[in-house]
Amino acid sequence: MLIREVMKSDPVWISPSIKLSDAYKLMIEKSIRHIPVVDNEKLAGVVTDRDLRLATSTLSEHPFDPEAAVGEVMSHPVKTAHPNDPVELATQTMRELKIGCLPVIEDMKLVGIVTVTDLLDALLLLTGIHQPSGRLDIRLPNRPGELARLAALLAERKINIHSILSYPESDNKMRLVLRVGSIEIKSIAQALCNAGFQVIWPIHIACVK
Amino acid sequence: MADSYSMCKIIYHPGYCKYDLGPGHPFDPRRVEMVLDLLKEYGYLKEPIKPDIVQPNDLLSIHDQTYINVVEAASRGEKILNIEDYGLGTIDNPVSLGMAVGARYQAGGTLLGARLLIEKKAEKVLQLGGGFHHARRRMAEGFCIYNDVALAIKEMTNAGWHVAYLDMDVHHGDGVQEIFYDAENVMTISIHESGEYLFPGTGWLNELGKGMGRSLKLNLPLEPFTEGESYIEVLDGILPKALSWFKPDAIVVQAGADAHFSDPLADLLLTTQDFEKYFRRIIRLTDEYCRGKALFTLGGGYSLTAAPRIWTILYMVLLNIDIPAELPLSWKERWEKKIGKQLPDFLHDVYPAFDPVQRKEEISRNNRELVHRLLDAVIADWL
Repeated sequence: MLIREVMKSDPVWISPSIKLSDAYKLMIEKSIRHIPVVDNEKLAGVVTDRDLRLATSTLSEHPFDPEAAVGEVMSHPVKTAHPNDPVELATQTMRELKIGCLPVIEDMKLVGIVTVTDLLDALLLLTGIHQPSGRLDIRLPNRPGELARLAALLAERKINIHSILSYPESDNKMRLVLRVGSIEIKSIAQALCNAGFQVIWPIHIACVK
Repeated sequence: MADSYSMCKIIYHPGYCKYDLGPGHPFDPRRVEMVLDLLKEYGYLKEPIKPDIVQPNDLLSIHDQTYINVVEAASRGEKILNIEDYGLGTIDNPVSLGMAVGARYQAGGTLLGARLLIEKKAEKVLQLGGGFHHARRRMAEGFCIYNDVALAIKEMTNAGWHVAYLDMDVHHGDGVQEIFYDAENVMTISIHESGEYLFPGTGWLNELGKGMGRSLKLNLPLEPFTEGESYIEVLDGILPKALSWFKPDAIVVQAGADAHFSDPLADLLLTTQDFEKYFRRIIRLTDEYCRGKALFTLGGGYSLTAAPRIWTILYMVLLNIDIPAELPLSWKERWEKKIGKQLPDFLHDVYPAFDPVQRKEEISRNNRELVHRLLDAVIADWL
């Protein structure tokens, strides 16, 4: 999954001379928290609702005036992403730096923005339930051919796989959660069990070997 | 009270049996034959009213024309391109000859049930079929082709009624919920095993309806291995509050029997005693909050040794018949031969029905929290 698949294209942007109060109004109006700041067609920084609130807070040592220019309070230099970056790379960057967005730059131009919300959408797409389906939870040895064997068994029974989610476990095992297009999951689980697969869900399947 | 029971009508048509998805398919027409034969053996079978078959065009209030055409053509044996797009020709919904005719007889039965209530010809109706709650506007799903329940609810709302729908099937009533998701005159309440574990994967607490239907679609996704005590506690925590606030003109109950502990498709642990207790509860709540009108349909229930007993008990509760202890020997022998399984000696389950569940307390606690979370979410809209 690439950034271009999850980013928002043509994002709202402002120039550094915009007043803090106007940037704030824009955020409220568009229901956004991050605005890239562009100067002479080049990304100059990012201003977030937090930047604005901290800069203008009466608790701060030298509070900025709402009339001050965004260029004075924006975050810069800015970490960016490329449309062809994988989503996991962007996620790693945002997680490490504890930041909420990455402007997306292509040919030196701002083409999009990816925020935590977009990454949550991506997570939902990967883990969510998009079609009526039953759930199989399998533990596989991490070696060649295991998934193929599993898929062949399902194909033999004409079971349609709607989604596969996998994650590594300790002891060189893989956990696989499959959403498959059938209400009758236990007979499938039984067949998998009989074929030597470790079925985590549905539980209490008695194997016949 | 005697009046109310004589105002209970039974609906059935031999045409229901045409809804046969093939040998080995869990949706086995013999389940209902077993009920009828058992009632006959006990001497309690009242002659059921035979419904008319629903014509394909009468389904347009619920289903798309294209979908209806596809189902009817496939049922006649015609080849359809991309039939999987309509949820047919799948492992759960294989194409079988005459399936549409069976589905339309079943839909006719549930529709007749709605009409008997509307025309005041009955107070309670037991439709010995139907309950195809997964069927979508343009898709078959989970053994269901035509959504008879939605058709009957629509008939009632067309008469100006507010309708409550209680879905006791162990699977989420996703088709019915989706069809009425923004309807202000239909409240749906589905209690089921959580979609985290069970088909179809939906029916979460946060599915509350939209627009004018907001806070009228309620879901109680229970943990696997929930027992009857907790099941009833959860329903008791929601149902009286929901019905007393919504004040429906009738309640439609999809009385699926697959929450039984012996069901091969799911993981809840109700006993026949729990079902009886809850059927009686529903009738009391119907008389209290739903102007006394209830339409019961069947639904899921894939244990041939349990589902027929549960629906026989439902029949007896509705007709105020004392529940006999034993199963007639002749019935038992006859059906053991036919289904190739041993049937129990008693109509009710024998306790202890299953091994104790170690996580029982934790499961009950989690389920109890569902009630609080659901009420928190809707209570502001219910004032």
